[in-house]
Amino acid sequence: MTTLTDDLAHTAPAGRPQNAPGSRQAGPRLGGTTWLVWRQHRAAFWTLIALTLLCVVVMVFLRGQVVDYLDAHPQKSGGLPPDFEKYTARLFSFGGYLGYVPLLTGVLLGAPLIAGDLESGTAKLVTSQSVSRLRWLTTKLAMPAALIALSTAVLAAVFNWWWSPVKGRSDTLEWTSGAFFDVTWVMPVAYALLTFVVGVAVGMLLRRTLVSMVVTLGIVVAIGVVWDRFRLDLGNLLSVSTDKGVGPGAARPKLPVGAVQQGEGTYFLTSSGARLDWTACLDKIDNDRAHTACLESKHVIGWSIDYLPISQMHTMQWLGAGIMLAVAAAVVTFIIFWGRKRLL
Amino acid sequence: MDHPGTHRGNGTGFAPPVGESAIEAHELGKQYRRGWALRDVSFRLPAGRVCGLVGPNGAGKSTLMGLATNMIRPTTGSLRVFGAAPGATESVLRTAFLTQEKPLFRRFTVAETLRLGRELNPQWDQEVAEGIVHAGRVPLRARIGTLSGGQRTRVAFALAFGKRPDLLILDEPMSDLDPLVRRELMATLTAEAAEHGTTVLVSSHMLAELEYICDYLLVVANGGLRLAGEVNELRAAHALLDIPGGGSLPAVAPHTVIEPHRGEGRQGVLVRLGAPITSGGPVTPPTLEELLLAYLRAPDAPSLIAPSARVGDIHDIITRDRQKAVTV
Repeated sequence: MTTLTDDLAHTAPAGRPQNAPGSRQAGPRLGGTTWLVWRQHRAAFWTLIALTLLCVVVMVFLRGQVVDYLDAHPQKSGGLPPDFEKYTARLFSFGGYLGYVPLLTGVLLGAPLIAGDLESGTAKLVTSQSVSRLRWLTTKLAMPAALIALSTAVLAAVFNWWWSPVKGRSDTLEWTSGAFFDVTWVMPVAYALLTFVVGVAVGMLLRRTLVSMVVTLGIVVAIGVVWDRFRLDLGNLLSVSTDKGVGPGAARPKLPVGAVQQGEGTYFLTSSGARLDWTACLDKIDNDRAHTACLESKHVIGWSIDYLPISQMHTMQWLGAGIMLAVAAAVVTFIIFWGRKRLL
Repeated sequence: MDHPGTHRGNGTGFAPPVGESAIEAHELGKQYRRGWALRDVSFRLPAGRVCGLVGPNGAGKSTLMGLATNMIRPTTGSLRVFGAAPGATESVLRTAFLTQEKPLFRRFTVAETLRLGRELNPQWDQEVAEGIVHAGRVPLRARIGTLSGGQRTRVAFALAFGKRPDLLILDEPMSDLDPLVRRELMATLTAEAAEHGTTVLVSSHMLAELEYICDYLLVVANGGLRLAGEVNELRAAHALLDIPGGGSLPAVAPHTVIEPHRGEGRQGVLVRLGAPITSGGPVTPPTLEELLLAYLRAPDAPSLIAPSARVGDIHDIITRDRQKAVTV
């Protein structure tokens, strides 16, 4: 096909009867493929909107509790009041649940999107109307994608707002954890869009809803494993060192607020600038003198710790989101190309 | 169509008839992994006809319809719908296709299904569509999933006719309907087609009913075209010769034997006339059903493409295609 048939339905003369029986007045006035996609998937869309609102309400409520508790127990040093684990644990586990959003968008929204039409034959019904296949496909991708982006952006913003009063104040709430890193800022948007388009592509190739959902599940889990492995490599590791020796009285290097230690514990720093890991002279640890002698023989002058400062969080999230969106764009290109050539 | 002299044999030397072609296929072929579904098919379907597409299962009927509606791309050759490529804007606007499964969104109401047609087709005619639905007393508020097979087919018809197509392609539209509904829908079909001058291409196994609605015919078997032309033209080109006394076959030269017809119904031998019948013996043109059955039983019979169904010179088409810069 070299001749595209875009926008045929949009050249329709105005003044069509707009209030034909059965047209619903609720919701925005939609036309053309937008109406069709909304009507066909409205149950899924409303469910998505409702779940988003429910999550927002729950998060606002739980944040209120956090703030109330912090107000009732003011702390001088910026630390957290005692018995605060209850609240941080909730925050952490809710972040973990939000981490499943990409899985749900891929399996429940992405996979059945086109597979359902191919399975029931309605793809043929739509493509035998006057709109081009390309127009239908793009609307079908764009509407759920926009809704997913909106929903995940709202969830990310509200979660971040919930997290902000205790950000950097608790050792247990490391920002590098997926429960925070993956569900704030642009990350969840990019992640959910990626899994969504992957699900759509799988559904288009396999043409069966259930099979597509299962295969998408597998692929999304695999993406998650790879992402967890490489996520922190997006950051630029910093070190903080001491040069006052490693004796019992020597101060340990102090991490900036909100920084998360990386690597294999505390390293020994030698005068040449090289670093030895914590196993150096470990065999002589029982004998203080031998231990000290051993460390001196290796010219150890202090400690060194690798860390990622919280200031890098947004940069890393942008990078990660950029990679995910690039992959998603490639998948979308494939969907459009394949859909135009070989959909039916 | 008046083509004097075409009523006897494979008349040659006639210029290709002028007038618009709804479909024109030139050396069309489609190869699947398991082999050729359609091979070297050339024909034209003049505009304004109701054409039956007949053939055994797997003969290539659905493939031909898919090719005309841009659902399938040809391996060889080309096909034109009103002179345009099947995927081109013009032919998409002018063609409506009802597939065998008649897919509809099961959760949509009838009204919403018609709205789908209105939203996706610029030339939508709500009155025509609603008229067809109302004629079957199908409630507009009912969900498609709750309708009977006949009602669902009616809604699918309404969707197809509401598009106001110039070419309506129906793949086995009546296969799962009871005789009453079938008759009623066929009456709707012929009435709508006659009123709007729609060209209809309809595939069916119901031979007797095709006779009732069709004035044109395409017969495919084993991926090739066996018969093409006006029904009367084709019938007149054949004769059912009686077998005298129940003995051996009569001398049939110069006619071509298509099938010795011995079964239920009339006894005789169906021949394609090679010359005007001169000698005695009662000769009757076969009914459409007899003709079709004969060709379906004898898929290797030489094909007969009536002049009105012949495509023009290949060079004309190549030149035209080049001018339109449409590639297939």
